[in-house]
This record gives sequence, C-alpha cells and structure tokens, in this order.
Amino acid sequence: MEKKIFFITADNLGLIREQIDYPYLEILKFPVIVEGKEYRQSDEFNAKWLISKYENENVVAQTSTLVQKEIIEIVEKNKSDFDLMIHVLMSSGLSAASFKVAENVRKQYENVIPIINVDSRQAVNGVGNVLLAIIDIVKANPALSREEIERKAQEVVESTFSYFVVNDLKYLYKGGRIGKAQSLMGSILHIIPVIGILGTEVEGIVVPIGKGRTFKQVNSMIYDKIIEKMNEKSVSKIKRIISISGYGDKNADVYTELFEKVKSIPHDDYIDGKPALVDTVYVGPGGYGVSVYL
Amino acid sequence: MSKKDALLSVSIANTRDLSEVISNIYQYLNRHKEYLNSLNVFPVPDGDTGLNMVLTLQGAIAQMVGKTDLDISAGAYLKELADNMLLNSRGCSGVILSLFVQGFANVVSNNDFSKENIYKAIENGYKNAYEGTENPQEGTMLTLMRAFRDFFYEQMQNEDDPLLIIREIIPKLKEVLNQTPEMLPVLKQAGVVDSGASGFIILLEGIDKELKNHHITGISIPSLLGIGKTLRQLLKDRRSNLRKNPMLPLILNINSNRVYNNRLQEVIEDARKVFSHINNRISLQKKIINDLQEIDRSWNPEIKYRYCTEFTLESDLTSKEYLKEKLNGYGDSLMIIQSDNKFKIHIHTNKPNDIFEEVSKLGDLLFTKVDDMKKQHRNFISEDFVDYERDKSIFCIVSGKGFAEILKNLGADDILCYGQNKPSVNQILKNLNNLKAKNIIAAADDYDILMALKLAVSLCKSNVYIVESDNPISLISMMMNISKEYDITTMFDQAMKNLHTIPFSAIARATRNVTGENGLVVNKNEYFAVYRKSIIAANTQLHQLIIEIIDKFAGDSILITLYKGERVKNNDELLQVLKLRYPNIEFEVYDGGQSKFEYYITFE
Repeated sequence: MEKKIFFITADNLGLIREQIDYPYLEILKFPVIVEGKEYRQSDEFNAKWLISKYENENVVAQTSTLVQKEIIEIVEKNKSDFDLMIHVLMSSGLSAASFKVAENVRKQYENVIPIINVDSRQAVNGVGNVLLAIIDIVKANPALSREEIERKAQEVVESTFSYFVVNDLKYLYKGGRIGKAQSLMGSILHIIPVIGILGTEVEGIVVPIGKGRTFKQVNSMIYDKIIEKMNEKSVSKIKRIISISGYGDKNADVYTELFEKVKSIPHDDYIDGKPALVDTVYVGPGGYGVSVYL
Repeated sequence: MSKKDALLSVSIANTRDLSEVISNIYQYLNRHKEYLNSLNVFPVPDGDTGLNMVLTLQGAIAQMVGKTDLDISAGAYLKELADNMLLNSRGCSGVILSLFVQGFANVVSNNDFSKENIYKAIENGYKNAYEGTENPQEGTMLTLMRAFRDFFYEQMQNEDDPLLIIREIIPKLKEVLNQTPEMLPVLKQAGVVDSGASGFIILLEGIDKELKNHHITGISIPSLLGIGKTLRQLLKDRRSNLRKNPMLPLILNINSNRVYNNRLQEVIEDARKVFSHINNRISLQKKIINDLQEIDRSWNPEIKYRYCTEFTLESDLTSKEYLKEKLNGYGDSLMIIQSDNKFKIHIHTNKPNDIFEEVSKLGDLLFTKVDDMKKQHRNFISEDFVDYERDKSIFCIVSGKGFAEILKNLGADDILCYGQNKPSVNQILKNLNNLKAKNIIAAADDYDILMALKLAVSLCKSNVYIVESDNPISLISMMMNISKEYDITTMFDQAMKNLHTIPFSAIARATRNVTGENGLVVNKNEYFAVYRKSIIAANTQLHQLIIEIIDKFAGDSILITLYKGERVKNNDELLQVLKLRYPNIEFEVYDGGQSKFEYYITFE
C-alpha cells in the first residue's frame, strides 16, 4: 500500500528548501550561540554574517542541540495526515544529544505514528545527500514497508562520503567535533588538512584523510579518494555530488578547481550546495568540500 | 546484598552494564598479559598470547564505542562485538577466543540470558572454536572451553544465576588447566600450563570482579632460564669452590611460589637436595642436567615457519575450502574464518609476501599483519625484554632540531636528532627499543646512516620496516602522506610511494675543490646546488645561486619552501628579493637546523 511520508531534517544539510523537490518536509533550525546570544539561520544571520564576525571580531561561536519541543510541534502538526515520518539527522557521532532528542520524540509517538530516525553518519552536504537519496527511494517505491525503508536508508548512509578542506581546524576543535582529525593539528609546518566523514565509519566522526601543502595537492587528494571509494564499491558513476562552499570569499578559485575536477567523474546529478549559519560555526572562513553518494 | 553479589547479579540483558562488564574483563586480562606471555610455548614460544588476546578484545571494544547510546539489545551488542573480535583477532589465541565468542553470541543474540540458554551458548561457542581450528589439540584453550561447558552443565543443576555458576566452576577449571601439561607434551617439557587456556580462565575470572586485586609476581622467563644456566654451572663447580659461590644461597633461597614453571620448580627442589647433601647422588645430578637441557630446548626450539601472518581478504570469488587448499602448502597453524565475503586468515609461514600476492588476485586485502616470531622469541627469552606498549610507531633519524620538530609535529613518535656526528648503532638501537612498539617504520635523512640503521634493526626486538630515504625532505613527504589509521604494511607502502613526491634542491658550501659528474668545477668555499644527487650549479654568492636554482626549477610551483641550515642566521633580505622577483609564488621559511646544507629548497 502506498504510504504518505513526511520528512524532517535540520538546516545543516548544505541545501536550501528550494533545492529539495519534495512537498512534505520541514527543516528545523539549529540554535547557534555567538558571544552568549542565540541566533537562527535567517536572511540577516547567515554564513556570510558569521564569517565576517569570525574574521573581524574574533568571536567564539557554538551550536546547541535540536529543540525537542520544536520536533514535537512538527510531529503534532502533521501526524494525522501521514502514515510515516522520516527524520534525517546529522551523525550521532557528532551530535549524540540531537539524536537522543529525536529518539525521545520517536518513543513518545510510538503508538501514534511511526517515525524512522536516520543517523546519516554525516554533516553538512553529506546530510543533504542522504536526505535526497532517501526521498528518491520513497518516491520511486511508495509501497515500501517501514523495514525496507530502514534497510535502504542504511545502504544510502553507507554509500555516502564527504570530504572537506578547512583552513583552520580550530573551529572544529573548539566545537568539540574534531574526532580523530585532532592528529592533523599543531603542525609547525603550514599544512592544509583534509578531513572526511565517511558513511562506512560506524563511529560517524570526523576522520583525518590527509594533509597537503598546497590547495592543488589537497584537491587532487580528494579526487583520488573519491575514485578509490568508487573502486572499492565497484561503481562507475556517482549518483549525486553536492558541493559546498561560500564560507566567505577566501579560496574561491581553489574550490572551483576541485568542483570541476570532481564533476569530470561520471555522475547522474550535481548540486551546488549552500552553506548555513550552523555549519559555518565548524567550517570557518574559506572552507569547502564535496559529498558523493555512490 | 554485598557489593560483590550486587555486581554478580548485574542484569547482563542491559547493554550499558554488559559493555561495562566487558570493559572490566578487558582491563583484568590486560593486567595479566605478561603472565600469559610468559607461559607461551605452544604452538611457537613467541611470548605473545597475552598480548594477542588483549589486542583482540581491545580492537573489538574500540569499534563498539557509542553503541550503548543507541537502542541496541544486549544480544545484538554481543553479536557485533563478536564480529569485531573476529575481524580484529590476533594470533592463534585471539582467533580461537573470537570463534568461541562468535558461537556464544550467535545463541544469546535472542537476548535470552537464562542459564539454559547460556549453557547452549557455551556449547555452541566451544563447537564453533573447535570446528574452526585446523588440527585441534588437547591441552589448549579448546580443552578448557569443553570443560567450561561440562562444569557449567553440572553446576546449573544447583544454581540459577549464570554468573554465580561461573564463579563456582573457576576452581574446577583451574584443576583442568593444571592437567594441560599431561595432555600436550611440549607443555610438560617446558614446565608450564597452556597460555591460551590460562587466558580463558583469566577472562572468566575477570567476570568475577572479586579477583581484581589478584596480582601476579612471578619470576620472568629470562630470569628462570638464567637460574637454569646458574644451576648447571654450580653442578660443574668443585665442592670447595661451591661454598664460596655467591649464587648458591640465592638459588637455595628462591621462593618456589614465584616460580610458575612446574618443571623448574622440581629441578630447584632436586638441586637443593644435592647442594644440601641430602641426596647428592650422580643419578640425581644427571637428572637435573637432563631436565634443564629439555627445558632449555623447549624454550629455544627451531622455528620452522618464521612469520606469523594474518590478513583479511574481501572476496566474492573464493571460498574457505579453496583458500585452505591454496594456502596449506605455505606453512602451518592455518586458520580461516569466514564472515559473509570477508575471510580472516592466520598462518605461520616463511613467505608472507607470496601469500599476499596470491590472495590479492582473489579480492581486496583489507588488513595485513606480519610478525617475525624469531624476533619475538628472542625478545621473549632475553634479559632486556621489551614490553610492547603499542602496535606501531614511526621513528626518524634526522640532522637539525628544526627538522626534528617538524617531523614530530607531523606525527613521528620518536626522532633521533644528530649533529656533525652520525648516530651509532647502539644509539639507534636504544631509541628503537625505547619505542616499545611491536612494529616500527624507521627512516633516516642520510644514506650513510642506513648501514647503522640496518644493523640496529637486526638487533632490535621489534619488527622494523626500513624506509630507505636519504634526505629530510623525503621524511617530510613520507610524514605528510602516512596515516597510523592503517595497518603497518599499508603504512609502509604509503611511506615508500611518497618518498620522492616533493622536488627539491639542496645548497651547501664546498669545503674543498670538487668536480661534479657533469664536469662542473666547484672551488673551495663556493656554494653549490645539488638536484637529484648531482651538482648542477655553483656560485660564490649564496643568494645569487638560490635565485638561479629557483629560476631553473620553479616552473608551475605555487609554493616554495626554504629550510634554513644551522649556519644561516638571517635571510629576511633574501626573502624580500624573492617575493619581488616571483610575485605569483608563495614563500615559506622554516628553521631546518641541518649541519651539512645551508638550505633545502622545495618546489610545490
């Protein structure tokens, strides 16, 4: 039987609403705390605004957990009109508290409406990639059972790989999201670190991919890693690429070089992702990256 | 209820409690690692049973981080732990233990932790371990697993709590353990009980936290072998000299409880009789010498297959049977465990690389490990025993404090920094052993050091992979591209592949007149530039030479890095000139501190 499915996600997905072709979706906004004051993504308070604060005022920014009340409001508003809800979350390895909050809501509504919480094992455009892939699946197979959707969502998670170049790891470090990439910090030699969030890593944390001395080197490294993953998974074509940039004006030419390089790999879909206030907290000025769903 | 009983009645159906119990068992096993290592004579006395069991559990636990925060049942948790143990298993003991846990977990994955189901799980664990072992031998961990099953069944008629049943049967299992030398001649000959079997009991003891303060203070194996040697010398001594020998009272006063080697305990008792004139018949003296020789032989056997080789192969093209047939001829102690399309393989062989080449044709090698058992054995029985504290390390030998600091920051675990004088074999050996790593990647910045490094490696207790580098830029390149996340052979491959990825030129001052290979004459005190081991330019002016070199090699470079030698004090002026001359190139300057060259200049 065809199911009516409602999607929930949050705004650290590297996409804006208009880039998601699905009518039944609500995007929660992560609270961002800058110098003790709470902000949410808006026309005024966006990635550009925070980058300018970082560069000119040296502010400290943090994020907070998804607000349980806000998820409940969405569920309450839509529970009677849908058969199932799918909440695509950022990696529980990066925000265990947000996943816990989502789980609380799932349990609270156990007997009201089934909710699947998908741990994307991703952040930023990686979450976007997982979300779009699951939407594609349920659109193409509207009669899938809950168990089948869960199984296919897990396959999507394990086929999604994201790579980022961050000018300075201090933003990740300060936000407690550095994971194993801490090994890339503290070098006397100026290095450009490449970090990854890989769907096959069960911990769902940031891992070090490598380091380069020039952007050309790190871009090549990311390209090679994507090819390596394609070989590992025996795929000849990427299903979807989502790039992310725009954290200030730095590195415009270098990220364009990367995106062109990655686009030269056979792929079905390419999306130029958009940064949000919440991911800017961790990426910092000049960061960029690509996520591939294989 | 006492604390002890409260702990025993912990509901293991709760994942968080279960993960804590497993963590405590691991800690407990880790504390007894050395004791288990000291018993290890079968199948090869390489002294790593304890370490292998610890690493197997440690690797699996590391994969389980965060699992308790999720909605995962205790049964599912155990099953995942078992799968991770298999994939992380080390050595024979680690593999057999993992097989037992896999069989156990397959039964309790239904979350039924009743004594009846636990009994079934133990039975299945034993069956899985037994069937998964090529050539199963009595007197090993397998015997203990079977006894565990049988005693559990007996005790469950009187007791309901599975943990209390385990506590009750531990003493009975120890009795079986003490019988293992009667079942396996090599144990009897060496005077020990089986190390894997002991490890199994220690794991069970670990469940019972009552035993957590139990400490082992036995005499080490090298010391025990030393006692044997001393005894032989004392027996040869003339009676008049014997009384003056300071070793005699030491031997006579050894506390037998500290000698875990049963056979040596007996020998010492016999020796006491001889030296105290209770019984000094020739026949007893001969028996002592004969016993000592046999003990010595069992601890110093001929190791037929040198390398303990393990790997995980991912393949859809093969089967367990095919691999068994293919690999059997390469050595012994072959074990193959299959989980879907992944095969975890363990074998003792002299040709690990041939095996890797052979199986690579069938699929992807996900993990490889090669331990040199001769080295491990030598370490094990030597006085200056190295207690490995980590699996892998990177060691660099470099001239210049600046380079040392850079390499350290890039992840090298230890640096031997030298000045005008090259390091000695002893210095290198000391540094290598101080790393206390089972596997080491070692690289130097000068070919002249390679001989000393090779010699030190031949004396070192660890498995050392030498990267034949000859300059500090190669070391930086290696460190930029190596990741300790991978296994040691992959790390070594990464190191070798990336040695020459950064083009560079080195600039030095001639201490005498020299002629380059291409006929270029360099006069004493002139500066000259070396590129790919050839002198390519010379100039009396250092800065002019640098500009000449950059003109020649900059090409499409976007970053040029200058590593200053110890004699270069200030180069601000040079930097200004370079920035003006090459506006599209970024320049970075670091203190290398090297003594031989004024500058290393890299082009990226």
